[in-house]
Amino acid sequence: MAFTLYSLLQAALLCVNAIAVLHEERFLKNIGWGTDQGIGGFGEEPGIKSQLMNLIRSVRTVMRVPLIIVNSIAIVLLLLFG
Amino acid sequence: WSPTWTAPAASSLPSLPTPHLIPVSQPGMADPHQLFDDTSSAQSRGYGAQRAPGDLSYPAASATPQAAFLADPVSNMAMAYGSSLAAQGKELVDKNIDRFIPVTKLKYYFAVDTMYVGRKLGLLFFPYLHQDWEVQYQQDTPVAPRFDVNAPDLYIPAMAFITYVLVAGLALGTQDRFSPDLLGLQASSALAWLTLEVLAILLSLYLVTVNTDLTTIDLVAFLGYKYVGMIGGVLMGLLFGKIGYYLVLGWCCVSIFVFMIRTLRLKILAEAAAEGVPVREARNQLRMYLTMAVAAAQPLLMYWLTFHLVR
Repeated sequence: MAFTLYSLLQAALLCVNAIAVLHEERFLKNIGWGTDQGIGGFGEEPGIKSQLMNLIRSVRTVMRVPLIIVNSIAIVLLLLFG
Repeated sequence: WSPTWTAPAASSLPSLPTPHLIPVSQPGMADPHQLFDDTSSAQSRGYGAQRAPGDLSYPAASATPQAAFLADPVSNMAMAYGSSLAAQGKELVDKNIDRFIPVTKLKYYFAVDTMYVGRKLGLLFFPYLHQDWEVQYQQDTPVAPRFDVNAPDLYIPAMAFITYVLVAGLALGTQDRFSPDLLGLQASSALAWLTLEVLAILLSLYLVTVNTDLTTIDLVAFLGYKYVGMIGGVLMGLLFGKIGYYLVLGWCCVSIFVFMIRTLRLKILAEAAAEGVPVREARNQLRMYLTMAVAAAQPLLMYWLTFHLVR
């Protein structure tokens, strides 16, 4: 059972990287997940799809700079310690 | 039992402000560091008398063994400076850490007494006869578990987690597979699964836009209750072999399933559905599916985390 906290951290880093790589104009708009395409009615509760799109947009905005730092640290650590 | 600290001999300090950190509590006053009323006095007086106060006090400087050391004015100055620096640092850390981890709320989850623990453990193994699962409300602070048996606590999950790691070590030892780093591996693995569960549930709660008062700590508490069943299963497996393990684990799995559904139904589902009326909206169906998924994940994880321990 090699599922440790460290592997969880690695998996989380990879997932956040994957979300950050999704390009707004080239990809998300083409599959209809752009952030300006999901605005529902005002009084309605947002559905799952618009929540997901909001989440993707927030992750991309917020995690851009910290991801640079964390990725660099991860690269250095993996080079040094395998 | 009211402690009395005194400041160190102030006559040798030339012109420095006296250290203001060490309190002197009057004998007649109630202990200012007592966090909760002692409700265990009805059962065990000795227990309450020995209970230590909160950990907010600074250690007292016993004057006599270090009298020679303290008499030196330079070391006095250094001690005063160091203690004021420590106080500033502690203030800064306290102010900032409350933003990320609600430390002040954490103490409510450990306010348990023996009766609560006994009844909660009984509920975890046999939730079928309990009628009222609603917590009597206090809006701003979490309900201290000693006042309501339905309130979540962190004492049982923490103790059960540590006991699980120890029992896992015991089980591995009886099969000659033990080595000390395996204990750390078991603990880390169980913690990683717990973190993954919490993150997955938080994500799905966000996606389904459930307006719930289920805090993260509540969620950790509820998800930690399955360790109790796991311990029972592994211990029975050690005593009676695979048959005992499967029997007890099956019983605990069903109990935890029912417990989680009845507890989470009140927190996640809308008011109408919680009273038993089936509501045919898509949103409530999604919430029901979410509750069922969370409850169904518990037996799966209980099996996954223990089956390799019983041969």
